[in-house]
Amino acid sequence: MFKYCLLLFALMTAPLAADETGSSLPDMEKIVKSHILPGLEDLARTAEDLAQSVAQTCPDNPDAVKEAYGKAFDAWVRVSHLRFGPSETDDRAYALAFWPDTKGFTPKTLQRLLQDRDPAIESVDGFKAVSIAARGFYPLEFLLYDPQFVEHPSPNRCQLMRVMTQDIAANALAIRDDWKDGYGSRLISADNETYRSHEEAIRQVYTALTTALLFTSDTRLGRPMGSFTKPRPARAEARRSGRSLRHVILSLEANRELASLLSQGDEDIDQGFERAIRIANELDDPDLSGVATIQGRIRAEALQGAISFVNDLLAEYLAPRLGITAGFNALDGD
Amino acid sequence: MPDRRSFMKGLFAIGLCPSVTWADAGSPAFLSAARKPDGHYALFGISEKGRAIFEIALPGRGHAAAAHPERPEAVAFARRPGNFAMALDCRTGETLSVLEAPEGRHFYGHGAFSEDGRLLYTAENDYETARGVIGIWQADKGYTRLGEFASHGVGPHDIKLLPDNKHFVIANGGIETHPDSGREKLNIPTMQPSLAYVTLDGRLVEKVELPQAMHKNSIRHLSLGEDGMVAFAMQWQGDVLNSPPLLGLHKLGGQVTLLEAPDDQQRQLQGYVGSVAIDTSRRLLAASSPRGGVVHQFDTETGEFLGAVRETDVCGLAMRNGKLARTSGAGIVCLSEEVAGMQMDRTRVTHPYQWDNHLVPIG
Repeated sequence: MFKYCLLLFALMTAPLAADETGSSLPDMEKIVKSHILPGLEDLARTAEDLAQSVAQTCPDNPDAVKEAYGKAFDAWVRVSHLRFGPSETDDRAYALAFWPDTKGFTPKTLQRLLQDRDPAIESVDGFKAVSIAARGFYPLEFLLYDPQFVEHPSPNRCQLMRVMTQDIAANALAIRDDWKDGYGSRLISADNETYRSHEEAIRQVYTALTTALLFTSDTRLGRPMGSFTKPRPARAEARRSGRSLRHVILSLEANRELASLLSQGDEDIDQGFERAIRIANELDDPDLSGVATIQGRIRAEALQGAISFVNDLLAEYLAPRLGITAGFNALDGD
Repeated sequence: MPDRRSFMKGLFAIGLCPSVTWADAGSPAFLSAARKPDGHYALFGISEKGRAIFEIALPGRGHAAAAHPERPEAVAFARRPGNFAMALDCRTGETLSVLEAPEGRHFYGHGAFSEDGRLLYTAENDYETARGVIGIWQADKGYTRLGEFASHGVGPHDIKLLPDNKHFVIANGGIETHPDSGREKLNIPTMQPSLAYVTLDGRLVEKVELPQAMHKNSIRHLSLGEDGMVAFAMQWQGDVLNSPPLLGLHKLGGQVTLLEAPDDQQRQLQGYVGSVAIDTSRRLLAASSPRGGVVHQFDTETGEFLGAVRETDVCGLAMRNGKLARTSGAGIVCLSEEVAGMQMDRTRVTHPYQWDNHLVPIG
């Protein structure tokens, strides 16, 4: 009988307890400490390794540089959804990742810097003043992979790569330091000038998540897909290094982790991510050049559909739980 | 005494032909697009009492409309990046013409008629070159395309005719988009919004740009005072909790005045103003933020913040006959004679429709 009483007691209290956790706000401290800071730590470390690798081995060991480049770029993509606060100070994120480059500013600016041996490439401080299109991971990809810069390298190429990677490392470090030295705790406590309430803090993180998903679907995939009659595979992100699809997957994985923390383990949302990531993996098309074929386009569209399904799940089930009201006009953005 | 025929002839000659007017469509005070409970979209005529007095089905979500200065005709624009607009007869609900954006162009959602209503000018994106253009259409000839001129910037969103009837002011939002990537913004780090004043044939008269520190402040919407004062509303593309002023006043040849609420209230806008309306005779500017659910009001002479009115998902705003009207995504149409924060709403009607971004005053 006592056993039954215990069981009854457990049954009575269980839903209550579940209800309590279900209605509580997400653990911002956990989001900062287990998701944001480790990602930024990784970016700062791999960016520093990249700068070291260029300083020590350029031009003798391009493979070592490419490997370090891949690791640092991976680390960036994994935090590229955290577009608020420290990443936006002094346009640091844009200085790391100027893409898309719709006007072709990047190769033009690189060409000019190399040809004239612009004094700006002599020091990191000087380099900070050059066009944002010539800073960060995307111009570095040109210098490492594009035949125009690789086949008959300019005598200034290694110097430009040195200053470019030092600039990347400095930006990565600055973002991490700002997060560590106050921004992270201000987001958690949300009782300060930066965040005046938990609602503001949560809305910021939620918006970063949904914006990143839209970027992956509409820009990372949408730009190379172009239109049915006019596919644009040459517009794929980081196609020269064959990283286009990799960025889609890394970004979805990072978004999945954040969504899980924000939703406190919502299974439907997690399943939605799992499905999108599975479809992405099955594309097996590193530079997304397959979107130029009908078959490839259909598969890329299926992936876009899976991502937009995740966004719908977030809007339908997570946003209301976070107290984010999404009005007809408030959502419109026009 | 002239006979009837020659009397009519005379009227035709001086352009006073008693043709149809807005009165024939029930004298609507405003137009607004909305989403209906069944998920369909329509353009509505709204009376001075806030009631819906006609309804014309639209094929998709609208953004804004342009009302013909005389005839009961409205051009409803699809939401960006729409490639069609519809000229509608507001008496019968019939579609007079479908305006199709030429190859490589899409509409941004706003347009303006010439003073005599013979021409319609539409804000468009020449998206392969990311160049803003203003399309010209012959409203009195079945809305055929006559030509286009440069908007002198990227992403022209809104266009209005100045009261001198000789110039347009264009809000070049500065943001590059391409239909292949939906509504994604492709050039935030290099965007350069502007306010461009052009003659009716597109010659640039003055271009106003904000300081470089504000280059991420997309100039989106316009409202004009009868003295030619231009109120412009912006949308900040940087950190939303740290936005600069989102409203400005400017007159051709003059200086820009930026308007900003006290810090706490400015934050409520979340870097985003959806619509703006001014009435310089009442020295009043109103600006809505659907994200903050708030309408801010300012004195146009002193720039002083007069107060805020709360309204969930508010966006559409218009000044007409001394009244400020607002609409919301929650179905509200509200007309108020009081300024700022008084909440003395003269008329408040709740509809089962989600009113879209803009409320267009007629007459």
